[in-house]
Amino acid sequence: MGAILSIASTTVGEAIRRRVLLIILMIGVLLLSIIPSLGVLSARSETSTMIGTMFAVLRGTSALIAIVLTVYMIPNEIERRTIYTILSKPVQRWQFLIGKYMGAVFSLGLMILLMSIVMIILFQIFQRPEPGKLLELARQSVLYFIEMCLLAAVAIFFSTFVTPLVNFFLSIGMWLVGTVLNPLYDSIQSNQGASPAMQMVAKFVTSILPNFANYDVKNPIINPGQQIQNETTYYLGTAGYGILYISILIIAGIIIFDRREV
Amino acid sequence: MGAAIETRKLTKTYKSRALGKINVVDHLDLEVEEGEIFGFLGPNGAGKTTTIKMLLGIIYPTSGEGYVLGKEIGDMDVHKIISYLPERPYYYEHMTGMEILKFYGSLFGINDREKFQALLEKVNLAADASKTISQYSKGMQQRIGLAQSLLNDPKLLFLDEPTGGLDPIAHTEIRDLILQFRDEGRTVFISSHELSEVERICDRVAIINKGIIERQGRLDDLLRGGRIEIIADGVNQAFSDSVRGLDATVSFHGGRLIVDMPEEGDVNGLIDGVRTAKGNVVSVIPRRRRLEDLFIETVSSAKGKHDGEAA
Repeated sequence: MGAILSIASTTVGEAIRRRVLLIILMIGVLLLSIIPSLGVLSARSETSTMIGTMFAVLRGTSALIAIVLTVYMIPNEIERRTIYTILSKPVQRWQFLIGKYMGAVFSLGLMILLMSIVMIILFQIFQRPEPGKLLELARQSVLYFIEMCLLAAVAIFFSTFVTPLVNFFLSIGMWLVGTVLNPLYDSIQSNQGASPAMQMVAKFVTSILPNFANYDVKNPIINPGQQIQNETTYYLGTAGYGILYISILIIAGIIIFDRREV
Repeated sequence: MGAAIETRKLTKTYKSRALGKINVVDHLDLEVEEGEIFGFLGPNGAGKTTTIKMLLGIIYPTSGEGYVLGKEIGDMDVHKIISYLPERPYYYEHMTGMEILKFYGSLFGINDREKFQALLEKVNLAADASKTISQYSKGMQQRIGLAQSLLNDPKLLFLDEPTGGLDPIAHTEIRDLILQFRDEGRTVFISSHELSEVERICDRVAIINKGIIERQGRLDDLLRGGRIEIIADGVNQAFSDSVRGLDATVSFHGGRLIVDMPEEGDVNGLIDGVRTAKGNVVSVIPRRRRLEDLFIETVSSAKGKHDGEAA
């Protein structure tokens, strides 16, 4: 465990110093900061616009950080030969991969936490909501964090066998598809004209691909009329789904990485 | 003394769409004794680093066997008593020298500040312990690399081009450290292009070319067969012609005879002959065979052999 934590903490140290990540983070924070002044431009209520846009910025920035952070993680270690020095010590490949992934998770946690704090402070200043609303915002941020951990696991998995550039597009593609899975599946299921074969394909694809859409619960926050049925079950189920999917991806990554020539 | 490293027919094959199967390391039989400095030489792409990676268990052999300190390669227990310094190593630039040692120490479960301090002193970096790696020169980075490689008090060190790209002073410092390792009873396996360095410090060497060991043995044995240059004045053409019969390169001009002959040739007979012919021996210069000569000769003859086979 000591080796894994050491690799993880070193990864955090590297990540928080990577200029490209800091620039993305700064842009995210900057965008969050100007959102309160955009509310007047929308026909929707100012609160809805502010929450919707802030969450969109938080989610998009976090996804970009998660992908940029992880796609280069393993290839960089190989290119710079640090992996050789580490693997020549009593460190197994699985420990190295888990350490790197944990480092990515901690780094993402720090960056999402920073953006969430900025978002909540701004919301408090400009909207003065009830404390319950702030809790809902925090809960959505936690769900986004789990979503980004899943995205980082997807990128780490791909990084064990594809180049960073291919990985970048694959991970982005998986995330984009994963974010529209629920609405896509619902529309195919509710479409009377959709053939049973198409419905089966939709069901198969929805079951196989990581479902990032589960982690977006901003609608009930924006529209008080909407409510999640049995919230506790939903949140636990979503978190459990994420942990299960992450575990599968990391185990598959370890199996591939263990056989890979570095 | 036992064998620190032993390989039997160790082979690494890569498949390439353009070239088909390539044996990067081809039936390698290597034996490195405990407590010696072993030089592993070869031109670029000869298979040196691939061999080291296989011995470290970082990549897997296609066939053959390998043992490091008596255990099969890849055995994690061995990793506790060996260490590796890669060619042009990179260390996390945001870390200080002390933090580097803490990080690599933690991979062994070592968290002993006094030990880290002692290692920094050993590699002459104690005063720079709080500087970040980005502030270190190449030589300092190499020295911190050596310090991290000593964290686990290794019995066997793998050093890949330890003096590559360093200035002469840094060269000397690293060389002294390597010699110190041997004095401490450690086995050192060096892969290098710096033939003069290898000649100075290694007990035994192996020359690898295109994945095949072409020569292996004690340096003294391999460098045997030097030549001796004899210069004499006052001899005539007839004497010069008589010398040409020997296994020697002879030049005669204006009464000066220059003979270049093998050291095992009849040097005394030639000197006696010069005196009998009323000539003067000007100089007798033994020219020891150098590792560079052996290396070039080995690689060239291997190339000729491969070209011949290809034809």
